Amino acid sequence: MDHAEAQNEFSDFVDGTLAEIKRAEVEQHLAVCIQCRTELAAFKRTLGSLGRLKQTAPPSLLSDVKQQIYKRSHGRFFAPRWKLFGRIPFEWISLGTIIAMLVYYLAVLHGSPGSVHGAP
Amino acid sequence: MSLAERLLIGRLKERDPAAFEEIVRRYGDKVFSLIYRMLGNRHEAEDVAQEVFITVFKTVDSFRGEAKFSTWLLRIAANQSKNRIKYLARRPTDGGELDDAAQAGLGAPGVTPGPIAHAQIDAPDKLLEAAEIERLMQTAIAALDEEHRLLVILRDVEEMSYQEIGEITGLPEGTIKSRLHRARMAIKEELDKHTK
Repeated sequence: MDHAEAQNEFSDFVDGTLAEIKRAEVEQHLAVCIQCRTELAAFKRTLGSLGRLKQTAPPSLLSDVKQQIYKRSHGRFFAPRWKLFGRIPFEWISLGTIIAMLVYYLAVLHGSPGSVHGAP
Repeated sequence: MSLAERLLIGRLKERDPAAFEEIVRRYGDKVFSLIYRMLGNRHEAEDVAQEVFITVFKTVDSFRGEAKFSTWLLRIAANQSKNRIKYLARRPTDGGELDDAAQAGLGAPGVTPGPIAHAQIDAPDKLLEAAEIERLMQTAIAALDEEHRLLVILRDVEEMSYQEIGEITGLPEGTIKSRLHRARMAIKEELDKHTK
């Protein structure tokens, strides 16, 4: 095995996907070839550096995507919610409104005669 | 595909906002990382990443569950990255330039530093060296054609299996391996020029 043949197998050699016989040939060549050992070390360094290139998404990705979908769907999806009432179920808001109206009605109904201080 | 993932996709098909948010949270980093390394430009990568998730929201009904959801999603990301590369090549002065890794990873406001930039915050020399290596790596990746670029990113950056890469690219394993080796050697030679 010469330099070029050995270096052609570097990927499979490093990935561990090289057939047993081929692997033994590469190892034999590496044992006697300092040039290929140096090349293999550089090759492994390159792969190591590639493995450190992962990136994280910007924190605004989700809100930006939702905003875009909202715009493009003409408000059909991901409509911004009013902060307070967006978190309270609609049924509770309705019930609260009915109770408030009832209280107001009763207050007016029962409060009116007593509160009228008519002329003597 | 696990039952939990199947249920999540089912909810996504019903346009459940919470399911969509879960998808973006779960796969956002992987999608962004792939696109950023394909394009080498943060602003463009942010734009394409948004487009990918918008496409997912619009076309999730066409996902039939034959492959893993992540495979389907990354195939969309890969295709949209390639389209953007072609578009930028036609308009080279319109945002197609590579980021300065030091600027992108270290100084830009609101930007999460890359893993290399995270290294040794208390050692400025090492930090600069890491940023310089990141810049060299990105330049070497950008010098590859888009097919080779995609393979090296999927395998060596995102650490995916040959089977997953095959499902994303539609290439047979032998072709992936031979192209990947050429791409790796090209990157190594590019690095050698600066380190020898």
